[in-house]
Amino acid sequence: MKNFINFLNSIVKIRGLHRFKPVVKAIDEFFYGTEKITEEPPHIVDYIDIKRYMSTVIIALIPSVISSIYFYGWRVIFLIFISYIFGGLAEVIFSIIKKKDIEEGFLVTGLIFPLTLPPTVPWWVCAIGILFGVIFGKEVFGGTGRNIFNPALTGRVFITVSYPKIMTTSWYIPFNKGIGGFSSFKPDAITSATPLMIFKSSNEIINLKDLLFGNYPGCIGETFKIGIIIGGLFLIFTKVANWRIPFFYIFSVFIFSLIGNLFSPKMFAPPLFQILTGGLLFGAFFMATDPVTMPSTNEGKIIAGFLLGLLTIIIRVFSGYVEGVMFSILLVNGFTPLIDYLIIEKKYKPYRRNEKY
Amino acid sequence: MAEIKKYKTLKGGIKFENFKGQIEGSVVEFPVPERVIIPLKQGFGDEVEPIVKIGDKVKCGEIIGISEKNISSPVHASISGYVRDIIEKNYFGRETKYIIIEGDGKNDEFEKLKYHDKKFEEMSPSEIGEKLYLSGVTSLGRAGIPTKFKSSFVNPEDIEYLIIHGIGSEIYNVLIDKILEGKKLFNFVKGIEVLKKLFTNIKKVYLAINRYEKKFIEEISKLTYDFEWLEISLIEPKYPSGYDEVLIPTLLKKDFPYGYSAANIGVIVLNIRAILYVYEAIFENKPFIETIIGLGGPSFKENLHLKVRIGTPIKNVTKEYLKDDKDIRIILNSLITGEKIDDLDLPIDRATNHIIAIKENKERRFLSFLRPNFRGYSYTNAFLNFVDKYPDTNMHGEKRPCINCGYCYEVCPVNIIPHLIIKFVMKNIFDERLMEYGIFKCIECNLCSFVCPSKIPVSHYIKEGQHKLINIGCDRSQCILPYFQLKGIEEYRGVKKL
Repeated sequence: MKNFINFLNSIVKIRGLHRFKPVVKAIDEFFYGTEKITEEPPHIVDYIDIKRYMSTVIIALIPSVISSIYFYGWRVIFLIFISYIFGGLAEVIFSIIKKKDIEEGFLVTGLIFPLTLPPTVPWWVCAIGILFGVIFGKEVFGGTGRNIFNPALTGRVFITVSYPKIMTTSWYIPFNKGIGGFSSFKPDAITSATPLMIFKSSNEIINLKDLLFGNYPGCIGETFKIGIIIGGLFLIFTKVANWRIPFFYIFSVFIFSLIGNLFSPKMFAPPLFQILTGGLLFGAFFMATDPVTMPSTNEGKIIAGFLLGLLTIIIRVFSGYVEGVMFSILLVNGFTPLIDYLIIEKKYKPYRRNEKY
Repeated sequence: MAEIKKYKTLKGGIKFENFKGQIEGSVVEFPVPERVIIPLKQGFGDEVEPIVKIGDKVKCGEIIGISEKNISSPVHASISGYVRDIIEKNYFGRETKYIIIEGDGKNDEFEKLKYHDKKFEEMSPSEIGEKLYLSGVTSLGRAGIPTKFKSSFVNPEDIEYLIIHGIGSEIYNVLIDKILEGKKLFNFVKGIEVLKKLFTNIKKVYLAINRYEKKFIEEISKLTYDFEWLEISLIEPKYPSGYDEVLIPTLLKKDFPYGYSAANIGVIVLNIRAILYVYEAIFENKPFIETIIGLGGPSFKENLHLKVRIGTPIKNVTKEYLKDDKDIRIILNSLITGEKIDDLDLPIDRATNHIIAIKENKERRFLSFLRPNFRGYSYTNAFLNFVDKYPDTNMHGEKRPCINCGYCYEVCPVNIIPHLIIKFVMKNIFDERLMEYGIFKCIECNLCSFVCPSKIPVSHYIKEGQHKLINIGCDRSQCILPYFQLKGIEEYRGVKKL
């Protein structure tokens, strides 16, 4: 391995190929830790780095990925592969243009994105989505840490709007017997409707056990709720995700749908059904916890959580789309700078008003 | 009766646990060195003037440096012998004079302090103050111990509260039950009484102790049974709870004038060993020539408490106790805030608490970010590190842009948003917004740099921002002075930054 990296290092010294230096550096840094040492106090620093941070999110997604193979066959892995290839390609091209290091953010984006797609989405739609997400969701803003919108969701919105037929009607009944999808490549061609669609058209409610185990049509990674909850709690336990946004998101969905259900049970589904359907848990645990695009202050996180819940319910109930998680997260992403600004102004205003420092 | 309150904890902070190489065992006497190098600036205060010449014979405990003009405390010869040289040397970026004394081996007797024939009960507060000043103990603490002399910038009458802390929130701490072993516990209580008598207007004495030191708390509360002016406060040992800026708001519910000293609002914070040295000066008539230090870190053969003469070169200690590895970094006082020692000729002075030695780790580990890392330490729980943690100096990752993860905000003990401030500093925007966001509240505990997963030297940027702001005329006094009635402020401004 070391020889291979040395070989690559010698190649990029050749004139004309030096542009690929970030790529080699990224490979090198991926396999070997750093040799840099601290120069000033603190003399010891935390073991966590961005690679570990991002790989913790990937570990938390493993239950969802495995369950999605069970439900929809090995094509899921193929889609993840496509997403990593094209997302990585965009990242590498931009790092070469910018002459900066490759950042690890796309490791998470590239995994989350295919999990939000319908199971039989064509591979080229997946590729277009991730390219759009990485380029216009992240790189045009200046890369990881500067993006305003969640790149995975930006890509998904783009393909939802561009290919509405593929993105809103191709739902399939998952495998649910025996070894499930581990023995096949793609799901059987029996289309069905998602629970939220069924509720909207006929007010029918699927029992909660089926919802928990994911035995209903939906996006690739979002149906196995138990795996998502385990992964989400793992993220919160490791402190990689802050508990505030997911907690207040789910809490406010519960509250708002409870109130709505009391007044108009035909339009508002009951709270537990709301929480266990669609991408709500997946969005709450894996996308609303993205630190870059969500408010950074604690108070801001609580506000964002409530706003997310309110918007989700409003979109689900009053709009043409049955699913509101994606749009609500993107809308709150847009609100994030404003929320943070208001909180910081309020918190630090006393100093301006010549009160005690 | 001394009351024991429910334990208190600070906002933010990290509890450092299970680090390998903890200091343990009773205090060991380190042999008296043949040659000492005594800095003329030790602890709090300015540099003093040497009053001996090259070739002079000095006795152990004799004053060799004193200054009437500056705020300072006298400096003593810690061994008996001849003055060999007076040199100037760099001490962490500051030129300081040093007196080198070659010993003659007669170290058993020391020069007794003034008033040594007077009993403590008969002494007046000003006499106690003079004795403490002459012993040199007054240079301990962040603002010295105020006396009638120029040992601090406030007067002893201004002091309303005394806080004695032995929390031990650093990674390596001297153990208070080992330092105050046996009879020394009584001495410690006597030492508190001395300071109570010295500060005539004192309202209350607080004893802040790690809440897990159950045995010590029991013993000390028995001994101080009838001191109604003493309060024993139990504190959760989270770093940086030993800082004045953090202790005073948690204990006294008082606002702290960030950037100034606790003495400016009438509070003196001392550690446990300082009280012990106060006792030794008053009751044993002993000048401050010996100090107890702890050797922490896995690169020492033994992690001991050592009683050493002031002025002992650090290399004497390291020669004896350091392991034979090549790559060892030696750090003074604290792993998080202390300075790295390159020149081992530098002496142990009054302000030295710990010497820490850890491994210099330049090793590149294969797939280090995927390993469980049983030896790793982290603010997060992303590692399986329930067992011993081995500190080393590796960065453990590459520098990346800030992702607003908020760890620095969570651990910050003074409630500022470090990642917001450094974004201004990185973009070279310096205006009063930075002051509103509290850049001058920073107490330089360096926790933000410690936790950052993007490996950004956050505290470095904050310091840089403070300097730039001061250069364009935004001083921290603008945030502080209008809102506080600070004592001794003229003198404080006279003292150079320590």
